Formats: sequence, C-alpha cells, structure tokens
Amino acid sequence: MRTTSGVLLTRFTMEVATALVTGLIGAIVCYGSLEFGIGWGDAGPEPGYFPFYVGLIVIIASAINMGFGIYHHRDRVEEFLTTEQSHRVIAFFGPMFLFVLISSYLGVYVGMILYLFSVMVFQGGYRPHKAIAVSLITAVANYFLFETWFKVPLLKGPLEALIGIH
Amino acid sequence: MDNFSNLMDGFAIAFSFFHLALMAVGVLLGILVGVLPGLGAPNGVSLLLPLTFTMDPVSAIILLTSMYWGALFGGSTTSILFNIPGEPSSVATTFDGYPMAQQGHATHALTLAFMSAGFGAMFGVVVITVLSGWVTQFALKFSSPEYFAVFLLTFASFIGMGSGSAFKAIVSMMLGFAFATVGMDGISGNMRLTFGFPDLVKGISFLVAVIGLFGLGELMQTMEEGLRFDGIHARIRIRDVFKAVASMPGHWLTLLRSSIIGAWMGITPGGPTAASFMSYGLAKRFSRRKEHFGKGEPAGIVAPETADHSAGTCAILPMLALGVPGSATAAVMMGGLMIWGLTPGPMLFIERPDFVWGTIASMYLGNVMAVVLVLATVPMFAAILRIPFSIIGPMIVVVCFIGAYTISGSRLDLWLALPFGILGYVFKKLGYPIAPMVLAMVLGDKAEDAFRQSMMMSKGSLAIFWNNSTLVATIMTLAMLLLFWPLVSMIIRHLRGTEHGKRISA
Repeated sequence: MRTTSGVLLTRFTMEVATALVTGLIGAIVCYGSLEFGIGWGDAGPEPGYFPFYVGLIVIIASAINMGFGIYHHRDRVEEFLTTEQSHRVIAFFGPMFLFVLISSYLGVYVGMILYLFSVMVFQGGYRPHKAIAVSLITAVANYFLFETWFKVPLLKGPLEALIGIH
Repeated sequence: MDNFSNLMDGFAIAFSFFHLALMAVGVLLGILVGVLPGLGAPNGVSLLLPLTFTMDPVSAIILLTSMYWGALFGGSTTSILFNIPGEPSSVATTFDGYPMAQQGHATHALTLAFMSAGFGAMFGVVVITVLSGWVTQFALKFSSPEYFAVFLLTFASFIGMGSGSAFKAIVSMMLGFAFATVGMDGISGNMRLTFGFPDLVKGISFLVAVIGLFGLGELMQTMEEGLRFDGIHARIRIRDVFKAVASMPGHWLTLLRSSIIGAWMGITPGGPTAASFMSYGLAKRFSRRKEHFGKGEPAGIVAPETADHSAGTCAILPMLALGVPGSATAAVMMGGLMIWGLTPGPMLFIERPDFVWGTIASMYLGNVMAVVLVLATVPMFAAILRIPFSIIGPMIVVVCFIGAYTISGSRLDLWLALPFGILGYVFKKLGYPIAPMVLAMVLGDKAEDAFRQSMMMSKGSLAIFWNNSTLVATIMTLAMLLLFWPLVSMIIRHLRGTEHGKRISA
C-alpha cells in the first residue's frame, strides 16, 4: 500500500461522502413521495407508499454503509485517488463536460467536431490539419449514418439551420 | 416433440437473407463494442436499442442478441491479446489466455476461446429449447401475486448471492427503484418525484443510466488507471486453428462441467461473471496439471469461456419466460421488449410463439456465425486498439452521448448521462454493484404494479402472497430465504469467531 503522500482523496473520505450523498437522495425521495400520500388506502398502498419506503431503506442502508466505512477505513491509509490519477480523470472529464455543454446549445455535430479537434490537438499532440480532417470526417459519417440511413435525427443547433441542414 | 416442430418454425422465420444480414451486422458491432474499452455488452445493446424502435420485434431481437454474442467474443479477444478484459465476465480468461499469447500461441488461445465459447453457447441454446416448452405450462398459473413473487425472488437473489456488501447492493438497487418511480404513475396517473420539472414527467430512462453507469463510468476508470495497450500481434495461422480445433475433444470434461455451471448461473441470476470465475476455479481444482494454471494452461481458457457463454445464453430464458433477466444485458434487452410492445413473461410463449421461437432459432445461427466471423476478423479488430486513445477515446464518448440522445431526442438525457457516469465510476471503485440498479430501473414499475394489483385483488391483505397458490408460496419463501441469507451467514460466521469484517468491506 502506498503512503498518504500524493493522495488527494482517501477511501475513508469517499466511503463517507458517498454514503452521505446516497442518504441525501433517499431523503429527497421520501420528501417527494409525501405529495401523494404514503399510507395504505382502501385498495392497497397509495401512490407515495412505494417510493417513500424505498427512500427510507436507502437512508437506513446508507447509514449502515457509512458505519462500516468509518469502521473499516478508520486508519485512513487506503487511497481512493492520487493527485496524478485526479489529473488524468479531470483531463478526461473536463472536455467531456464541455462537449455536452456545447452540444446542448450548438448541436451534437458542432460539439463533436470541436471536442475531437481539441482533444486531438491539445492532448494527443496532433497537427491541426490532421485533427480537422478526422473530426470533420467523423461528423459527416455520423450524419449519413443517423440522418440518412437510420432516419434518427440528432440534436442540431443554429449553425445547421444557417447552412440549411435540418 | 412439440418443441422440435416449434423450433423448425423458428428456423423458417430466422433463416431469411435480411435476418442473416442483421446477425452479421449485430455480431460485428458486438465484437467492436466488446473490443473497445468502456463499451461492453450492456452498453452496446443500449446504444443500439433506440435504432430498433421502428423495426419488427423479431428482427430487432435478432440484431440485439447477435450483438450480445459478438460482444462476448470481443471481450475474450482483448483478454487474450491485450490482457485487458473487454467485459467483466472475461476477466478469468486473462489468467491463462494472455500468458499463452505471450508464449507465441495467440492463435491457439484465441481459437480455443472461440470454440469453447461456441460450445457453451450451443449448450445454452439447447437448454433453452428443452426448457421452453415446459415453461409454457406455468403460463396460465401466473397472475399478479406470482409475478410480484418472481420479481422479489430476483431482487433478493441479487442481494443474497452478491459477492460484496449486501447493504451496498441494497442502496444500489433501491436507488434504481427510486429512479424508476420518477414520472407518471401507471395506476393512479399522478406525477411522482418530478419536483415540478416538466422534463421529468416521462421518467428517467434506464438506457441513459446504463450508458452513464457502464459506458462513461468505465471510461473514467480506464483513464484514471492510465491507458496502456501492450498488445500481442495476432496473425491467424490456419494450421494453428485446425490444431486447436483438433485438441477440443480432449477437453470434453471441462467443456461439459463448465457448460452446466454456466447454464445454472445464467438461469438463476448469478450471471456470466460469477459463472466464469467459478468454472475456472473448479477446472483448476480438478486438474492434474494444477501448477500450470495461470501460466498458459489451455484448460484455463476453455473453462471460463464455456461458462461465460453458456451463462450469457441461458440468461435469455428467464427473461423471455418469466420477465426476469439473468444479467444486466438481458435486463436492457427486456426493456427493449417492453418498448416494442411485447410483455415478457410466460404469456409471450402463447401469444407470440413466432417471436420466441424465431429468437431461439436465431441463437443457434447467430452463434455459429459469430465463431466464424470472429476468427476471420480478429486481426482487424486488434488493429483498432492500436489507434491512439486521444482519437478513439473521444469517439467512444461521442457515441455514448449520441446513444443517450437518440433514446427520446431529449436534451435532458445528455445531461443525465453525466451524473450517472460519475455515479458509476465512484460506485465501481467503492465496490457498490451496478447491475442491481439497472435491474431495478427496468423492473421497478412492473414490480410495483404487480404488488399494487395484488393488493387490489386481496383488498389490501398481504396474505395473498402465501395463500393464492402453492406456486406463489414456494417462490415467496425462497425469496425470503435469499434476502436474509447475508444476515444469517454473518451471524454464523460471527458465532464461529472468524474474522468477517474483511468480507463485508470487500
């Protein structure tokens, strides 16, 4: 086992944090199901009955998980993520997040061209003209695959409307 | 011989040019998703599912099941050539497959893997063929309480038979139920858990969850570990293929044992992953060449591959017959069945025999085709993994999000896939099982409806789950036993004074 130097997150922290998040989701579910009655009506359970107890079980099981997590990882030596690993995860997640952000406003095609291009150039170290070629070919191939062949339209933005593709 | 004539009708349906072409496309796409890191069988089927909405159900299921076979084969390929299991169920194949390939016997290892996988799958289809006729006899005995009991049995077995922490499995499953209740309630028509967001009225699709949990989550994990492909160049030499085929009969005992393990684990929701590990362990224990295992022992490839495919195939039977999927991929396919307007369950065998037997017949043809295609295309697919990850990685991400969008053409699904991706990544690292969540999302509504309809039948008395028939009582008792099994075994271990803490946190 590695020492704690260079460790960004310990397993202890993550076990507790995850249990808190799942418990919180459970609480939200319980709260949301109060709206339609959680009791036992004339014809069996009311609409909120099922989700309410599901939420309650989530809260209880999360509490138990937190207890186990605290107990088994109390020495706090096991790592969850090292600094180096976190850089790699962020380098992957960041561009992916931007891809979704751009896609939801400018459409999936524009999003994928920008995404492929920037990852290839900034992370893969490719020459820009090579990256442009790959990303454009991918977008065109996807266009023909989905719009023409499968007749499933993908999300398009203002740019496609400008050049008359919709 | 009723099954036999049904099967012949099935072959008549499956054996058309269009269907054979679909099988080939499905198998090839399947090998592709099996080979690519981050994409696996459940994910591949989820991505393809939206494209089948307009297809005839028989054609659609042929495409999806063929993809499943292809993905299983693709997973074995990367295990042997790259020491990277493309699927969790092919982890055990790396133990002996990779050493064998390193020693220069890549062709032999691959051929052995594909042939035993083909054998396992064939065994599985024969089991399905034989048992299917028997299943229909149950059909008319099933009403809401029986359905609920079967659902409960499935859920309980995931908690009771899981390898990790039972409470983590419970959290995962219950979250799945909670996500399944979002949207319109099928019985009362109320909008549940939407918190006023109009986009949530249609609910959270299990397909988005699968794409996020399995696809994006797995990709993040792959990235974190720093990707390195130390692949072995595979050139398929025909002579080696025949040599490997000729050595197959020598493994008859391993083949048979592993097929039976696989069939059992596939029908009960143990799943292909558990089956392949168990089969590997048993093959090692009974082998006279124990010390060779892990260093490139052929039987160490035959055993997990046979069990993996036998289980994968058999998982289709409970899905069709009871509406209870035996694996995550089968759960996704079952979701597809419901979208195509079919109701999985025993009545399917009576109402749509063409669909059921067409599917079963296509499984025979699809597996034969898969063995041939995978042998022919291995070098090509292995070459794909040599494309730098800064190109292939973003492309996989794009495919995942396109898949999320095509489910219902909703912008929200693009955004939902992201948190599911993070959830999948964290859950996998902390040992929360993911399959129960997917299962609960697919079955949640059906289980709740069955429960509430039973309550309407009994005017609110829970006794209906024991009084309605001996069938329902038996299933309920079994479910209860499984559900409390972790508790019972924990107490037993505690009484024996063994150190049980490690097992729970694992």
